[in-house]
Amino acid sequence: MNPHVLNEELDQQIERMVTRTNAQLAGSSSLLAIASELCHLPDPDFKRGLQADLLDEAAPLDSSSDRSRMNHSRIAAFSGIMPTLTGKGLRVFPADHRSFVVSFASHAALVFLIASGIWVGQRPILRTTEILSSKLTYLGSGGGGGGDHSSIPVTKGTPPKFSDRQIAPPVIVVRNPNPALPVDSTVLGAPQVKLPQSNQIGELMSSNVILPSNGTGGGGGAGSDSGTGLGSGRGAGVGSGADVGYGRGISSAGRGVTAPRAIYDPEPEYSEEARRVHFQGVVVLSIVVDQAGHTRDIRVARSVGLGLDEKAIEAVKKWKFEPGVQEGHPVAVGVNVEVNFRLY
Amino acid sequence: MKTLEREPDERQLIEAAQSEPARFAELYEQNFARVYAFFVRRVATREEAQDLTSEVFHQALGSIRNFKWQGAPFVAWLYGIAANVLSSHWQKLGRSPAGDEMELSDSGDDIERSVLLAELVELLPPDQSRVVLLRFVKQKSIREIAYDLGRSEGAVKQLQFRALENLREKLGRPI
Repeated sequence: MNPHVLNEELDQQIERMVTRTNAQLAGSSSLLAIASELCHLPDPDFKRGLQADLLDEAAPLDSSSDRSRMNHSRIAAFSGIMPTLTGKGLRVFPADHRSFVVSFASHAALVFLIASGIWVGQRPILRTTEILSSKLTYLGSGGGGGGDHSSIPVTKGTPPKFSDRQIAPPVIVVRNPNPALPVDSTVLGAPQVKLPQSNQIGELMSSNVILPSNGTGGGGGAGSDSGTGLGSGRGAGVGSGADVGYGRGISSAGRGVTAPRAIYDPEPEYSEEARRVHFQGVVVLSIVVDQAGHTRDIRVARSVGLGLDEKAIEAVKKWKFEPGVQEGHPVAVGVNVEVNFRLY
Repeated sequence: MKTLEREPDERQLIEAAQSEPARFAELYEQNFARVYAFFVRRVATREEAQDLTSEVFHQALGSIRNFKWQGAPFVAWLYGIAANVLSSHWQKLGRSPAGDEMELSDSGDDIERSVLLAELVELLPPDQSRVVLLRFVKQKSIREIAYDLGRSEGAVKQLQFRALENLREKLGRPI
């Protein structure tokens, strides 16, 4: 068909469409379908007008009724640097410079206390233990590392036992050969997880089979990154992740890691709010499926609101998976799941 | 898949708006299109959609200080207000939402598509974007647009056609 004729026909159909209110197109042309959607776009003049109204409304909310005189240029000034210090512009009451001096002095004192370590030093150490304990309610996704900045890679060997407390980190080169209270070295992780043991502490995959070395990393453990664990990761566990327990951290499916498979996925409930207005949508949740097939670290990656996000989370918390597997071992895998809310 | 990785920024914006309501403008800018899209297919006229959108943002501004961050995106809170506003609107009109096909055809996916389309229109060449605005949003005739822009009617039709083709091509690409 002649492009000119095609264009004319398209325009005639668009004309019919825009002159009807909220018309729904019966035509199958994809261009007409887009044209139909364009009729639903907001008017930029309305958007700007509403924004101006809201700014006017925001002005008195800031403190007193005198703010109703605030115009838009003064709103811009509101975002300026320390307007109360100069007393210019927006405040109803004149700025009191003594308030500034008192505020400055108290903040300076606080900064000094923090910087000097006095305030931090008085905080109970127990808090750290509490945090570590709560992390051990799951098996951990693995990760440990350390070293003493040696130029030689960590010695080949096996990790020490897992424990929910770590007093002595795993080391190959012991700096204090006669400690007052000798204790076995451990790595943080669920004690029920058993790894192969030998007389030589070290990293299983290391190429250094001769020289004793804590590795090239830092932090007190053994390995090539940082922490009090063992491996190429960060943390007090074992492996290349940054957590506790054993493994490579949270993996993604693919490249030798199988995706977890849902084996129990009850339907979510519809929220009353969404049902009332016949709202439908797909909530996307970012989750981690741990080695036991449980879901954790659930985060909304795409929200639809109206209570459906919460309903999706509620349902996914109950889901059970066959965990992802790498090299024959279950591993924690991060995946996105779609929870579809449809009314039939 | 497009992921909304904006939580930390959004939280800061909310806290800023709670201490300085004038900063609400930034939250408005981020969420306006979604709230408008929520209403536009559920009501009969553009004016109704505008009134209801306006109502949502006025209510949100009035109660922004009561908002408690719980990790959900801010727009989820706005949709909650929007649902109540829509429900009240239907009550005032004395009709029930059930049985109205327009409401059933809409979904969160449609909202995201509308937002995407609005963004793509802004990325069109300026003359095409202008024609789209005048033709579809302002609902002017080709003759009126030609007069406003000082172009021939044929040129305006051509711009309209190219704009639609551009949008079709961009919408067809994976985002």
